[in-house]
Amino acid sequence: MPTISIDTFFACSLMVLLVLSAMAASSLLLSPHINGVSNENISERYAEISKYLLLNIGEPQDWGQNSQTIPEIFGLAKAGSENPYELDIDKVSRLNSENLYALSYATIFSALKMPDVSFRIELKPIFEVAINLTATYPSANEITYQFEISTGKQGIPVQVELKSYVIARSYFEAKNAFVSSGDTYINVTLSNAVEGHVLLIVIARSVSNTKIVSFGTYVFAHNSGEPNPNVTFLRFSPLNYTLNASCIYPEITLLDAYALAFNYYSTLTQTANSNQSVEYGIPHFVDSGPTLMVITGLNSTSFFAEWVAYPQIPLEIGADFADSNSLSNVFAYRYVVTVNSALYECRVWLGGS
Amino acid sequence: MGGRDKGQIRIVEAFLSVLIIFSAFTISANLTVTQNRTKNDDLASVGLQALIMLDSDGSLAKYIGDENWNGLRDVLNLILPTGVCFNMTVYDEQMQQINADTISNGGFGGQQIAFVEYVCASRGVTFHCYIIHLLLAVVA
Repeated sequence: MPTISIDTFFACSLMVLLVLSAMAASSLLLSPHINGVSNENISERYAEISKYLLLNIGEPQDWGQNSQTIPEIFGLAKAGSENPYELDIDKVSRLNSENLYALSYATIFSALKMPDVSFRIELKPIFEVAINLTATYPSANEITYQFEISTGKQGIPVQVELKSYVIARSYFEAKNAFVSSGDTYINVTLSNAVEGHVLLIVIARSVSNTKIVSFGTYVFAHNSGEPNPNVTFLRFSPLNYTLNASCIYPEITLLDAYALAFNYYSTLTQTANSNQSVEYGIPHFVDSGPTLMVITGLNSTSFFAEWVAYPQIPLEIGADFADSNSLSNVFAYRYVVTVNSALYECRVWLGGS
Repeated sequence: MGGRDKGQIRIVEAFLSVLIIFSAFTISANLTVTQNRTKNDDLASVGLQALIMLDSDGSLAKYIGDENWNGLRDVLNLILPTGVCFNMTVYDEQMQQINADTISNGGFGGQQIAFVEYVCASRGVTFHCYIIHLLLAVVA
């Protein structure tokens, strides 16, 4: 075989070998970027879906107000609103599983009409209110309870105006509002004549913007045994400015009912009464933010005070992505939304079904 | 050049062509910047949404009209996610800076910086138009 043929054979072999290795190396180099482009497309699609959930009013437009209506097309926006990201107070409340008329995840999943997308929605106030009982000062005829009220956003103090209400058996007190720089104390003094559990409600409003509102509650025993958690005796379903309170046990007697906001409060009037449930009209306060409703009653002889917020926030609904085997294709989007003129934080998680 | 040397030239050609292919792929791989763009877009979207929410009831223009820069800084601190730092500059129609104080919650140590430009108008009797430049970064 001539030398030139051997050289040509080696040259061609080397070229083929190196071209093949170049192709392999280039595919390795480019594959993360190709995947990145693919993920970017998924992320963009999910971002648009998350916006669609919050900007679309759904079908029928008033599916939130009517407890029997199941939406054909899912959307949380308030019908007729001129502002983007303004959610309907009733549509939001129907996402809360504690509400008797809450939509199930399967119902929303069907109404979303996207069988390849699973989701999770969380709504909560922009900052948190924490209440802790720090000291008790008993005297001959009364007991003074000292509470520490902390307002903060993930540990960072938030300057707020605070308004607090104390509710016990045949007892109602609205304390004066005052400014807190994030950590303060309030005292609650109760006569020994007052018996049973006591509910302390604190509504906090940001000093920098009155549309940023949050609240906290604390139930404590006063001359009585340990209190039960909220929603032990009553199940609340506020919808269309009507509060439905269903008795969980048969021997329950309802006493007083209150509606509380930052600047206003009133007693609630019964509008309907059936065997196991009572309905009250919810007043339209001009305050931004939630209206808190408190109902007191007796279970046999023990007193209780239970509460619910309207809109029924905080809430979370949807798939639990924390248990998911693969989190690589789960995307989270954070929005600030308006419900009843107050600002809330909304997180939407989207992933493949 | 004799016929004996023709094969060597082909080997040199093979090396050169492979070198060119490798170079082309390496350069094109380094030119891909889609990931950073996406993250910056997300951050800009968060900032834009915060400004839209503040402007929805006219409070953004009211902060500016009242020159309540501390209030504006506090409310942005609340609305924006924790871990995002911002620096806002407000201009009038002639692009003259209005805010005398800095509207910021700290230094920019992050790698990604997103820029949002937003135009808002006052809702009072006297019409004012403001141009807002908001820089956002994720705290490193």
